[in-house]
Amino acid sequence: MIRLSGRLRSALIIGGQGIRARKLRALLSMLSLFLGVLAIVAVQAGSEIADRALLADVELAQGKDGTVQMYLPAHPRTIPIVLDTLKDAPDAVAVIEGQAIIGEPGVTPVNPGAAPFDQSFGGGSFYPTFCDASGVCYATGPVGGPAGAPPPGQAIELRLVGLTGDIRRFRPFEPDSGQWLDFTGDASLSPRLVINREALKGFTRHRVPAEMRLTGSTVNPTPRITGVVHDAGYGPTAYVRADELLNWQATTADPSRGGGPGVMVLLAPTATGIEQTLRARLAAAGAPMDQIYVSTINSREHFTDQLSLVRWIFYGMAILVLLIGVAGILNVGLATVGERVEEFALRRAVGTPRLLLAGIVLAETLFIGLFTALAAIGVGMVGLTYVGRAVDRFAPLLRDVTFPWQAGVAGVIAGVAAGLLGGLVPAVRAARIPIATVMRA
Amino acid sequence: MTPLIQLAGISKTLRGQGAPRIVLSGLDLTVHSGESVAILGRSGSGKSTLLSLIGLFDRPDGGRYVFAGQDISRLSERRAARLRSDSFGFVFQRFFLLKHLTAAQNVAMALVNGQGWLPRRMRRAKIMAALDQVGIAHLAKQKPPRLSGGEQQRVAIARALVRRPRVLLADEPTGALDTETGNLVVDALHATTNHGCALILVTHDHDHAERMGHVLRLSDGVLHEARQEVSR
Repeated sequence: MIRLSGRLRSALIIGGQGIRARKLRALLSMLSLFLGVLAIVAVQAGSEIADRALLADVELAQGKDGTVQMYLPAHPRTIPIVLDTLKDAPDAVAVIEGQAIIGEPGVTPVNPGAAPFDQSFGGGSFYPTFCDASGVCYATGPVGGPAGAPPPGQAIELRLVGLTGDIRRFRPFEPDSGQWLDFTGDASLSPRLVINREALKGFTRHRVPAEMRLTGSTVNPTPRITGVVHDAGYGPTAYVRADELLNWQATTADPSRGGGPGVMVLLAPTATGIEQTLRARLAAAGAPMDQIYVSTINSREHFTDQLSLVRWIFYGMAILVLLIGVAGILNVGLATVGERVEEFALRRAVGTPRLLLAGIVLAETLFIGLFTALAAIGVGMVGLTYVGRAVDRFAPLLRDVTFPWQAGVAGVIAGVAAGLLGGLVPAVRAARIPIATVMRA
Repeated sequence: MTPLIQLAGISKTLRGQGAPRIVLSGLDLTVHSGESVAILGRSGSGKSTLLSLIGLFDRPDGGRYVFAGQDISRLSERRAARLRSDSFGFVFQRFFLLKHLTAAQNVAMALVNGQGWLPRRMRRAKIMAALDQVGIAHLAKQKPPRLSGGEQQRVAIARALVRRPRVLLADEPTGALDTETGNLVVDALHATTNHGCALILVTHDHDHAERMGHVLRLSDGVLHEARQEVSR
């Protein structure tokens, strides 16, 4: 153990002396390796950032990994049972989905079907549509529908999501402005809405009266928009307290009818009791049990699979660049060993074992690889900061992004591996230098 | 008294690109601790080959090599390296100093060789003692390009002595030096025998050879007594 330690120390000391004695060569080796290590760092950092960004969007749109999604059947008793079961249940939230049109009554909205505003068919002119008194819209023209569609007017159609509790536990919406829904206190007769960015786009472009038509309701309430969030959704969406929504919409509406509310319950992985209770009560109410679907969100694995191919393609290219760097180290290393034949022979003459001679060369190339890795990581960190600032407006993905530690680890591994690979042949050659070289010099 | 070095019937044939050349054939040599031996011979007579066999740089084709009572004719490379480090010191015609290292660091080369580890303070003390032994302790921080030929050779001798070897092998150590400096170097080498170190000096210089306890000539692959030849 002591001898191993002594050899290791000897290799490090002599390797360090070798680098100091040949600074220019060490620098040239580092230059040849730098791009390769930087490529590895960049690919690793890029894939980590992409992973995080994709996962963050998926968490916003669908839910955090492990969240259980329970889709319930369309049945007149579904909503009352859900509301009653989830009362005072902090680890479950029911999501009641429907459509709403805010704006002038009796007109076709600017985005029929709650389409995104920047899509051509979302402008209200691609397929003529009209909406009946209950707010259900029909496409005419190529798709077909009742004749006599109402004229287009100043109204915006939204996906309306009623919530029985704070959904942000499962879907961590990012607040943009205003307030999130307050679930304490009594329900207001003027439903409070929190809209997403796409809906905000519509309300910014179009001035519409504050009158909301709801699916299955004959009376139009006056909504209040209290906040804006980023929910990673493409279509305009508004979130509302379920009780404020149901003040105006019958809880027994049959979801099987067109435009009727669908119900989904988001459950924490630990809320298995609620799932069982819901199943039992729905079964007792005669709901079709074969229409209950339960799934668990597992986005990370899904996206990891999707990204892995792209990641390996980029890794392949980066490794090619790295190999060019390794060839550079190998080249410089062989030239250096060739120049130091007498030194290595002399070291053997004074009792240095072959293994240590190889270790000295490997220590030098390892140092070079390590220094290069540190330089590449430093450049990567600084570069990411500056690129993030420069493209802040065009790529919000890079806003406030931090350098992933995994990229640092990958850089160090790449540097060390390149040092080892590049130094291996010179090390073997150094160890094989015949000791008699000094005698014949 | 057990001889330190005992070579019996040593043979060596050099095989290069040309025809094999018998360099040593049935060579015998016995050296005791504290003895000094000069080996003379024509160029190509095999002096350096003999030294490389004694110093375990190479292996004999035949014969027996006993060192301090132990047969080391077929020693493994690992053990040979260990023995070289512990028991042999080498001085060459060319000094083989690394010019990017100071004199002290060049001497340290023999200590930082993977054969055990000495703490820095102890290492420094040994290095300074070795440099002091050859009278150049004041040049410890100088790099070789700033030293004269004699000083460089003395740094090389200090490197050979720093591990307190039992045998010092010197291969024409004065070949690149003027007479006066050469004498100083031989003085420094010969002084090591006072501490029980055996000295084997390969030289062309009869004056230097005469100062050794034994003078041998290598010819036809064997050693002959040559004291009288030198005295003439």
